[in-house]
Amino acid sequence: MMISAIVFGSIAVAAALGVVLMRNPLYSAFSLVVNLLSVAAVYASLDAHFLAVSQVVVYAGAIMVLVLFVLMLLNLKDESEAPRGWLKITVASCGALLLFSSILPVILPAVETLHGDSVSGEGQLVEGSVLAIGRLLYSEYVPQFELSSLVLLVGVVGAVMLTRKQSSDPSPREGGLLGGGKS
Amino acid sequence: MVMGNVENLLLLLVSLPLFGAAVSYALGLRARVLSGPLATLTVAVCFGIAIYLTTELMVGSSIQREAIVASFGSWLSVGNVTLSFDLYFDALSAVMCLVITGIGALIHLYSIQYMASDEGVARYFGFLNLFVFSMLLLVLGKNLPVVFIGWEGVGLCSYLLIGFWYKKTEFVLAGQKAFVMNRLGDLGFIIAMAALFTTTGTLDIVELTSPESLARIGEGVALLAGLALFFAATGKSAQFPLFTWLPDAMAGPTPVSALIHAATMVTAGIYLTGRMHPVLELSPQVLSVITWTGVITAFVAATVALVQNDIKKVLAYSTVSQLGFMFIAVGCGCYSVALFHVVTHAFFKACLFLSAGSVIYGCHHEQDMRRMGGLRKSMPITAATYAVACLAIAGIAPFAGYFSKHAIIDSLAHNSNVYLAPFQGGLQIVVTLIAVMTAGYMARSFFMTFMGSYRGEATPHEVPVIMWGPVVVLAILSCIGGWLLHDTLFSFLDAVVRTPLFILQHQSLTSYVTGSLPGVLGIVLAYSLLVRVVSLTEKFQSWGWMVQKLWERKYYLDELYDVVVVNPLRITGRFLAVGVSQGLVEGFGRGVAFFVQALGELARRTTTGLVGGYALYMLLAIAVLIGILV
Amino acid sequence: MSVYGLCIILSLALFLIGAVGVCVRRNAIVVFMCIELMLNAVNIAFVAFSRLHGGLDGQVAVFFVMVIAAAESAVGLAIILSVFRSFISVETSDVSELKW
Repeated sequence: MMISAIVFGSIAVAAALGVVLMRNPLYSAFSLVVNLLSVAAVYASLDAHFLAVSQVVVYAGAIMVLVLFVLMLLNLKDESEAPRGWLKITVASCGALLLFSSILPVILPAVETLHGDSVSGEGQLVEGSVLAIGRLLYSEYVPQFELSSLVLLVGVVGAVMLTRKQSSDPSPREGGLLGGGKS
Repeated sequence: MVMGNVENLLLLLVSLPLFGAAVSYALGLRARVLSGPLATLTVAVCFGIAIYLTTELMVGSSIQREAIVASFGSWLSVGNVTLSFDLYFDALSAVMCLVITGIGALIHLYSIQYMASDEGVARYFGFLNLFVFSMLLLVLGKNLPVVFIGWEGVGLCSYLLIGFWYKKTEFVLAGQKAFVMNRLGDLGFIIAMAALFTTTGTLDIVELTSPESLARIGEGVALLAGLALFFAATGKSAQFPLFTWLPDAMAGPTPVSALIHAATMVTAGIYLTGRMHPVLELSPQVLSVITWTGVITAFVAATVALVQNDIKKVLAYSTVSQLGFMFIAVGCGCYSVALFHVVTHAFFKACLFLSAGSVIYGCHHEQDMRRMGGLRKSMPITAATYAVACLAIAGIAPFAGYFSKHAIIDSLAHNSNVYLAPFQGGLQIVVTLIAVMTAGYMARSFFMTFMGSYRGEATPHEVPVIMWGPVVVLAILSCIGGWLLHDTLFSFLDAVVRTPLFILQHQSLTSYVTGSLPGVLGIVLAYSLLVRVVSLTEKFQSWGWMVQKLWERKYYLDELYDVVVVNPLRITGRFLAVGVSQGLVEGFGRGVAFFVQALGELARRTTTGLVGGYALYMLLAIAVLIGILV
Repeated sequence: MSVYGLCIILSLALFLIGAVGVCVRRNAIVVFMCIELMLNAVNIAFVAFSRLHGGLDGQVAVFFVMVIAAAESAVGLAIILSVFRSFISVETSDVSELKW
């Protein structure tokens, strides 16, 4: 468990760095796929099997396909010609490091004490199987579950609404974000 | 406070028009056709409630209970003074409420057709309902601050409705003039409140007019408070010298003129003096000032009305003149008589204004009487209602105006004020003369509008039934209202304001005849002068252009205001603007502005409009925050 | 160090990498991907704590985060598409209408 977490964790971090550092968005997307898959592996090593599968299907499958589809559709050049904003990158990295170094010393000991505490329920080793999660979803979390279906519906309708092509659209600048307003 | 049904109804009576105002205004977004009927319905329901509450006060002809008191709860409390938002419904308020809601409902009904083609019809009805709300608050307030809210509210609505057609500059200016003149009067109201509060420690009207508090008011304060109160009434009720706003107020739609500037708002001053009469009576000087002002106003306005050519202007000056009559009665201590004239005047003046509105509507927005004439053929119903109302205002015997006008002349004759008694004979002659003039200018306007032959271009037509219906109701009331209400009203009001005995004396047939004489004389004079010549104006030009000029220019009062009030204010204003404002304030302001500008220039650099930049700020801010917290 | 501490470090690292990416990248789609990265980082923390506490509630939360992420990706990409249609670019530096 520990070994697999370390291995896949390092792959995930490396892939994440790839997402940010690759100049071609397409490479970024592929790095992200690698990242998502390795995160799925981390889930699996934490006994969250249902989530690991969902991660592969939903993220690496559906969402990434959507992203790649849009990327291909827009057929963008990479950013290589544009100069990198070194100042911005330095400031952002410094900020991130500052955050990292200020949060970690607080949270890590807390987690370790929790882990060392025998009262915590780690001994029970609950497995995140489909059955167990399904039970929970359909008993305690029914309203939230139903609401989430509504959220998806609204998301679909919103996406259709936004991408619908305007009937009369002389200048591309004119249409604005809310397409379809005129049709 | 435990409140029963009646109390809740009283609260409902006030809140309903406010609700109606909001809804009618909101209807303008989608269904502005509905806003008129809705507003009308609201006021009609209020009328029903007012009738019910009045019957609660009085069963048969005997008074059942003195007043209904209801409270919206506590308003504010400062130190040991608490003000609650109380309503007080007694005979005086009842009469005013009935007039406001009754006449108001008829005028709302009339307005539905009159304003039908106007774009801002929802705005119109919203304001009109808001006016009814403010006016009800004014007459129902139990303490002076609540009354003051209503007082200001009706001023605001009047301003809004005079300037209703805000695209015309002169209409907006007329609205502003009305508002500013009302504000001058409001100053009096505030001074009176302050003076009364410092001496008695209360602003509640019932407590204020109790013998204990009255005993505490000294002679000087009584004079100050009385004059200040009357000054407030002068502004609102358009008395000399603050009356010039009322004729200008005719810029608003005609039903507004009928409701606000003839029947209800302008009588708020009468109500206030009636409500506060125990304070006024502390000083006979104040009462004499009121009568004198009333006489002067009535005379001045009647003379000006004689030469006006705009049909609404004639009615406006006639309103000012009639309000003068009411103040004559107030000054003589006969408040119930003044209130009686308020009621009858509301009948016939609303009828006159609405008939004039029908004429204007029928002649396609023509207001100049020189381009009318002969309308009795094309608009027979309107001609009849106008004629009835004219006879009423002229004070011809069986009509409403006769009773109230006669009572006013009587009360002038019977008063015992030391400051008035020496001039009593003269005053009576003047008042009778004014009565003749009243009949004269009204007859003149009738002859010019309805008799002779038509002189305009547009084709006049009779108005639809929804317009002449309310007018006919008002005409019937101007016909029989005086005779019907004469005794009932006085005995009803007796609980609040005592009615002098001579008013209740039985009237004989001879007194009917003699009392009608001035009116008949006025009509005959107007007829003989007018039948052959088109207007009285031409007659004057041959022998006295000076007088006519004086009358046409309203005694140069507007010019006088310019010299006395406006110009000094303007000069002070210019000094403040150039010297103090530009030199000192702006210099300082420029320095600050330069500093801020420099800072802003710095800050501008950071707002790049780039999403990433803003995310970066967020990230850094969180880092700093967590760094501090941890 | 236990596996939980490791997961927390991983979560924090991924989150901050994502955040830096959001700040420095100018391509809207990459920014969008970085946001997904941050969501995932939070999910790892959820799963780790869920296991640490011996309950499944954390995993249910992750499930809901995934649902929201799916909806968000649909709407977000649609927005990017219509931005592209209006500006013929998905560079955030070109869509700087919020300036001053």
